[in-house]
Amino acid sequence: METAPSSVSCLPHTAKMSKAKKVLEEAREIRNPELDLFDKGVSTFEEMPGLLNMTNVTRLTLSHNRIRSIPPGLANLTNLEILNLANNQIQELPLSLSSMPKLRILNLSINRLDTLPRGFGAFPVLEILDLTYNNLKEDSLPGNFFMMQTLRALYLGDNDFEKLPPEIKNLKNLEILGLRENDLIELPKEIGELSRLRELHVQGNRLTILPPELGNLDMASNKAEFRFEGNVWVPPILDQLNLGISHLQDYLRSEAYRITYNRYLTNKPPVPPPCVDKAKKISRLR
Amino acid sequence: MNPTDRSPNIPLIGAIKNSRLAQRRASRTEESYVRFEIYDNVPLHIRNNDSPVSQTIPKFQWITNMSRDTMFCSKCGEGFEPQEKIVNSTGQLWHQHCFVCAQCFREFADGVFYEYDGRKYCEHDFHVLFAPCCQRCNTFIIGRVIKAMNASWHADCFRCEMCNLELADTGFIKNGGRALCHECNAKVKARGLGKYVCHKCHAIIDDQPLRFRGEVYHPYHFTCTACGVELDANAREVRNRPGLAKNDTNELYCLRCHDKMGVPICGACRRPIEERVVTALGKHWHVEHFVCAKCEKPFFGHRHYEKKGLAYCETHYHQLFGNLCYSCNQVISGDVFMALNKAWCFHHFACSICDQKMTEKTKFYECDLKPVCKKCYERFPKELRNRLRRQHEASTKRAPTPVE
Ligand SMILES: [Zn+2]
Ligand SMILES: [Zn+2]
Ligand SMILES: [Zn+2]
Ligand SMILES: [Zn+2]
Ligand SMILES: [Zn+2]
Ligand SMILES: [Zn+2]
Ligand SMILES: [Zn+2]
Ligand SMILES: [Zn+2]
Repeated sequence: METAPSSVSCLPHTAKMSKAKKVLEEAREIRNPELDLFDKGVSTFEEMPGLLNMTNVTRLTLSHNRIRSIPPGLANLTNLEILNLANNQIQELPLSLSSMPKLRILNLSINRLDTLPRGFGAFPVLEILDLTYNNLKEDSLPGNFFMMQTLRALYLGDNDFEKLPPEIKNLKNLEILGLRENDLIELPKEIGELSRLRELHVQGNRLTILPPELGNLDMASNKAEFRFEGNVWVPPILDQLNLGISHLQDYLRSEAYRITYNRYLTNKPPVPPPCVDKAKKISRLR
Repeated sequence: MNPTDRSPNIPLIGAIKNSRLAQRRASRTEESYVRFEIYDNVPLHIRNNDSPVSQTIPKFQWITNMSRDTMFCSKCGEGFEPQEKIVNSTGQLWHQHCFVCAQCFREFADGVFYEYDGRKYCEHDFHVLFAPCCQRCNTFIIGRVIKAMNASWHADCFRCEMCNLELADTGFIKNGGRALCHECNAKVKARGLGKYVCHKCHAIIDDQPLRFRGEVYHPYHFTCTACGVELDANAREVRNRPGLAKNDTNELYCLRCHDKMGVPICGACRRPIEERVVTALGKHWHVEHFVCAKCEKPFFGHRHYEKKGLAYCETHYHQLFGNLCYSCNQVISGDVFMALNKAWCFHHFACSICDQKMTEKTKFYECDLKPVCKKCYERFPKELRNRLRRQHEASTKRAPTPVE
């Protein structure tokens, strides 16, 4: 492959490539199941020969590369528990990925995903799914997306959601839900059924009111972190937020708020315009 | 009375007269006290005032220049020759040869004599003829005489034949020809009967004794620490400080109260536990009633975790109190790395983008409460970094909110 250095511009690329190969060779030699292949200038899996046969691998970290597509054969790595593809250029995922039997942590943040494959929600043991900084919205999600009962953390920040499907309530084990800087207009009341939720990021959306059911969650515990800044809250909510999260929680649980909330529902205020300019997002690049 | 008496715990005041203690006290008079006399035996007239037992100062003088025609000897009735020495004592006059011991007819040495039944005796003869002799030390008794056991005694010679206690002021009991104090008498009597002597009242314990702090007692001297009822021999001594040899903090309980304490009560169902007892959280539990406060599944001997007076299974303890590793979702057994509202196994704390291990010294950034190492953060899209920075600034500015 690397013959005579005919062109100088080719050299850095060749050097990077050999770096990835070197990592693989070393890992094979010492049977290291954790592969650090981040920032290796990799564009395709062809540049990492033999990788898809290394079935002993438990962690594969490919962050900071230029990978555009994932081969279905990646699912051969049946012992893989952690797959990190953060900061690549992935636009599409193979359906096979969700069949990986041991995959617990999947990081697809900072990519270019507009959609997820059908059946994506079939991961048997997925616990942490990071889809931060893509181009996803409610329509991009496959029908079985909220069937991932093992999910502990779902990061959807920096995407294009306007609404969160009420099926979110099916993620019974969810502790962390990231929705920072989407285009959310409202939150479903079903979010109040996520009894284990202790982290909620909804900063930088277009929210005006909160469902009273959110008050069911233990927002004020010292293990909880609920972030609401950067929305267009109605004054009563903004007032409580300024007083502190426990005030907001008490208010959401109050009869007074139930009345206020119902009035807002029947008398819907105009939807605020998107407040985050996402034109410069590199996830938009094609 | 039946020890399983079901009467209320508070004794009626009127019933006290009928208590065993009251009856016992009333029957105390049956015990025979041998009365004994004590009197003072002191010389009537002594010349010198240096003896501690002397009580009178002698009026004893030679009369020389009085009219002797009207004076007669108190003993023989004869008059006195001129120039003859006349003895004047206690208002009477004597010839010198008449003022002598009624027994030995000798003059009184140093003028000391004893008067008994109208006659005067020298000290020696008085002692020989009349003064009591101590049964114990065989010397004359001057001063306090103890008449007891058909003999006389110096007060400090009359002692208990077993323990040598002085008996003059406490009284004694005749036991087989011996004078004994009450305590020794009771001991002897009890030993003879194969019984104990109460450490408090020193009387024989006829019924079952109560053992308490290493001594034996009549049970009726005590009441139950819990309910106050007068105790019987079924009472139980409870060690308050197990493991300590000293038992002076032990307490007594009636059988009923002791049973209440002894049979553990389940902290969940409040019923007594007959079989296996689990002790945790300062309470006792039926094995099947000691459950996780969250999922309510019994631990059945599995490890449990305590927090604020509640017990949790491993899963729920860590779920609720955050000590499951964010990365491996396992209980953190070694050192815990706490950051960003999360916990990690010490060796599982890593950058969420490049998966490289970080230590407490590694500088890292936060994105949605995930750790991002500096190198990775710098490779974030610039516009994302800008937004994250703005947001961070906004949230830190927000923190101290002035209340108007
Ligand atoms: Zn004597
Ligand atoms: Zn004695
Ligand atoms: Zn007694
Ligand atoms: Zn009692
Ligand atoms: Zn019970
Ligand atoms: Zn439990
Ligand atoms: Zn861990
Ligand atoms: Zn990193």
